[in-house]
Amino acid sequence: MSRRSLIVVTALAAALVAAAFVGIVLATSGGGDDELVIYSARSHYGEEKPFTTFEQDEDVDTRIFGGEAPELYERLRNEGDDSDADVLVTVDAANLWRAEQAGLLKPIHSAALERNVPANLRDAKGRWFGLTVRARTIMRSTERVGPREVTTYEGLGDPEWRGRLCLRSGTSDYNISFVADQIAKRGEPAVRRMLERWMANDPQILGSDVDVLQAIAGDDGCDVGLTNSYYLGRELEDDPDFPVAPVWADQNGPGTHLNLSGLGVVAATDRPEDAQRLVEYLTSPKQQEIFARNNHEFGVDPDVVPTEEIEQFGRFKRDPIDVAGAGRHLGDAVRLMNQVGWK
Amino acid sequence: MEVSTAVRGGVGAAARRSRRRVDGWTVTTVVVALLVAGPLLVLPASFIASPDALADFKGLLPNALRATAVLIVGVGVGTLVLGTGLAALVSFCDFPGRRWIEWAIVLPLAMPGYVFTLFALGTADDVGLGLATVRSSLGAVVIFTLVLYPYVYLLARTAFLSQAGDLMEAARGLGLSRGRAILRVAVPMARPAILGGVALALMEALADFGTVNLLGVQTFTNAIYKVWFGAFDRDAALQLGTMLVSVTLLLLLLERASRGRARYGQASSSARAQPPVRLRGPAAAAALIGPLLLVALVVGAPLVQLAAWSIDSIRDGLLAPEFALAARNSLMLAGMSIVIVAAVALLLAYGRRASPSRSSAAAVRVATIGYGLPGSVVAVAVIVPLGWLDHRLDDAAGIGLLLTGTVIGLFVAYTVRFLALAFQSVDTGLERVPRSLDEAARGLGSDRLDVLARVHVPLIAPALLTAGLLVFTEVMKELPATLLLRPLGGDTLAIAVWQATTESLYETAALPALLIVLVGLIPVGVLIRLSRRAAA
Repeated sequence: MSRRSLIVVTALAAALVAAAFVGIVLATSGGGDDELVIYSARSHYGEEKPFTTFEQDEDVDTRIFGGEAPELYERLRNEGDDSDADVLVTVDAANLWRAEQAGLLKPIHSAALERNVPANLRDAKGRWFGLTVRARTIMRSTERVGPREVTTYEGLGDPEWRGRLCLRSGTSDYNISFVADQIAKRGEPAVRRMLERWMANDPQILGSDVDVLQAIAGDDGCDVGLTNSYYLGRELEDDPDFPVAPVWADQNGPGTHLNLSGLGVVAATDRPEDAQRLVEYLTSPKQQEIFARNNHEFGVDPDVVPTEEIEQFGRFKRDPIDVAGAGRHLGDAVRLMNQVGWK
Repeated sequence: MEVSTAVRGGVGAAARRSRRRVDGWTVTTVVVALLVAGPLLVLPASFIASPDALADFKGLLPNALRATAVLIVGVGVGTLVLGTGLAALVSFCDFPGRRWIEWAIVLPLAMPGYVFTLFALGTADDVGLGLATVRSSLGAVVIFTLVLYPYVYLLARTAFLSQAGDLMEAARGLGLSRGRAILRVAVPMARPAILGGVALALMEALADFGTVNLLGVQTFTNAIYKVWFGAFDRDAALQLGTMLVSVTLLLLLLERASRGRARYGQASSSARAQPPVRLRGPAAAAALIGPLLLVALVVGAPLVQLAAWSIDSIRDGLLAPEFALAARNSLMLAGMSIVIVAAVALLLAYGRRASPSRSSAAAVRVATIGYGLPGSVVAVAVIVPLGWLDHRLDDAAGIGLLLTGTVIGLFVAYTVRFLALAFQSVDTGLERVPRSLDEAARGLGSDRLDVLARVHVPLIAPALLTAGLLVFTEVMKELPATLLLRPLGGDTLAIAVWQATTESLYETAALPALLIVLVGLIPVGVLIRLSRRAAA
C-alpha cells in the first residue's frame, strides 16, 4: 500500500468511526425537548395505564425514564439546571423529601391538587404530592399462623417467631423508610430494641417482597414476614388460594405504617404547564381508582375503594409516614439497621 | 501530487522532530494514562473533602471486610482447584472427546454472574433449595467459582502445554507417580500462570455488583451502593471505593510477590511435550462426563431455562418494555466500545514499545488500574469530574449536558474499566513482533506511526480482534456503570435484565438475559478458533 492510499484509507476509516460515534451518541440520547420527561421509580412492568392515557387525553408526548428512586434523585442532582426531566415520580416518601431538600422540586399550586390530595399527603409548599399510598404490614401464612397470633410490629420480635420470620434485605428503600419513620415517631432507643429483637429471631433475609410472600406460601421456614400489601394483591389475583394473609399491624396503637408513592415537578423543567397537568391528571379521582385497581394500592383519597383482593381483609387504621421526620432520620435508619445486623 | 508531497514533507518533519525529542511517545503514553486514570483521583480525594464521612457507617466496614475475605478465600480456592484440576486433566490425559471437552470447559466465560444468579434464584424452589440457601455467602462463592474458573483453566492449560516433557520424565524417573509428578513438578512450575488466573477471577468477583446484590452478600460493592443510595453519602461511598481499590492493589502485589524473582524456564519450542496418558474404561468415561456435567450445569441448564421463560414471556406479553431498543443500544454501545478501547490500548502498548522508559511503564500500570474496580466506583469517579466539566461547558457554550447527558460518559467509564483487558491482548500480540522488524522499517525511512500502521497493525490483527471481542462481551453484560451513567433513552439489555430481576420477574428478565449469553458465546467461540489455529 502506498503512503498516499494509506492516508486516504486511514482518513476514511477515521471519518466512518467518527460518523458512527456521533450517530450512536444521538441515537441513544433521546433528547427531551419535545416530550414531557418523567423520571419514574414505579415499576414499568405492571399496568400503569394512567401514564399512557395521559398522552391521549391531554395530547402530550411523554417519555418515561425508569430506575430506582435513589438513582433518579442522584441523576437529577448531577444534572442540576440542565436536566431534561420535568416530573419526578418516586415509590417512597424518602426520596421525595430528599429531592425537595436539595431544591430539585418546584412548588405548584392549584385548587384541583388541593382537592385531590389530602393535606397530610402533600407538601405544604406544593413541592410534592402523594400519588398512591401503600401499607407495609405483617404477612402471615394462613396455614400455620392464626390471625391473632401476631398483631404488632413489636410482636415480630417475640421468641415464638424464632426461625420463622422472613424479611426483605436492609437495602430496600421500603424497609429504610419504615425504620426512619419509626425512629421519627418513637425515638431511636425504642426502635433499636425492636430491631434487635427481630434480629434475635434469626430472620431469613430475602431479595424482594415477592420472594418473602412466596417463602411464606412455601414451607422453607417462613411463617411471618413484612411486605407491602399490594404485592399480596398481585399474588391473590393470580391465585385466589394463595395461602398468605395480611395482619393490619398496630391497630390498637398508632395504626399500620403507610408509605407514599409520590411525585413533584422538577425545578429545571422547561414545560411547567404540562408537568402540572400530569400531576393533576394522575391525582384525579378517576385515575386514582385506576391506580388502585391495577396495582392493588390505596388511593391518596381514603374514599377510593381498594381492589377486592385487598378489600376482603377489611378497612384499617392508617399511620401515614411523617415525610419530613422520616426524611431527617434516613441516615440514622441505615446506620441502625447496619448495627443490628439487618443485611 | 502536490498534496501528497506536502503531506510527505509534514510527516518527515514530524519524524525528525520525534527523533530529536526521543520521549514523544512517552509523553503520549503518560497523557493517555492520566486521562484514563485521572478521574479515579476523586476516590482518595474524598478523604480530604470529608475526613470522617465513614464514621457514621462503622459497622459496614467489618462486614464488608469479612464478606470480602470469605469471597477471596472461597472463590480463590474454588477456582484454583477447579481450574487447575480441569487444566491438568486435559493437558496430561487423553480420552475420547478430549478435543471437544478442552474447549467446552471455557464456555462458562460467556455466563455473567448475575444471569446465573437469576437462573439459580428462579429455579431454587424447583430443585428443593431454599431461597435463603442460595442467598448466602456460600451461594455467592459457588456461583463465582462456577462462572470464573475458566480464567484459571485457560492460563494453567497454556502453562502446562508449554512445559518441557523431559522435566516430567525426570520426575517420573526419580520415582514419583504420575499424579504426584503433576502436583509436585507441573503445578508449581505453572504457579505464575495459575495465580495470575486466580487473581483475575478474584478481581472479577470483587468488582461484581449484580450477583452480590441479588444474593444479599455484604461485600464492598454492596456497601458502596447502600451508603450512596440508602444514606446518600457520596463521600463515604467514595471512601469505601478507595478501600476496595486498596484490596485489589494488594491482591495484585501479592500475585507479583508470589512470582518473586524466580524465573521459570519455559521449554523452547523444540522441546517435546510429555505425551498424555491414555485413559480407558471408567476413567475415560468419568473424564468425559464430569466436565460435560459441569458445563451443562453452568451454561446448558440456564440456557434451556431462559429459553423456556423467554417463550412464556413472549406468549404472555410480558416482554420488557422497549426490548428491541435495549437490544439495539447494547449492540451499538458494545460495537463502538471495541473501536475506542482497542485504539487506546494500541496507543498505550505501542507507546511503551516505541519509547520504553520508567514513565511509560508506570503510565501503563496506572491506566489499566480500572479493571480491578467495580463499575459503580468507576461510574462515580467518572461522573464527578465529567459532571463538573459538563456544567462549565454548558455555561460557556449552552450546549446542554454533552458528556454526562449522552453516552460519551459511558464510553469514558467503559474505557477506564476495560482498558486493561484490551491492553493485555494487544500487548501480548505486539511482544510477538520482533523488535528487529521495527528497526528495519525505521531504517527504511518510515516514522513510528507509519511502522505502526503498516507493519504492526496487520501483524497483530488477531490480537486486536481478541481485544475487541473481549471488550464487546464485557460491555454487553456491564451493569453498574451503565445503570448510573446511561442517558435518557439509553437502556440496555443488561439494564432490562436487572430491572426485571430485582422485582423477581424472572420470565421478563429471561429474553434479554438469553441474548446477552448468546452474544457472549460468540467471542468465546472466536477465541477458541484462534487458539486452535495457533495450536495447530
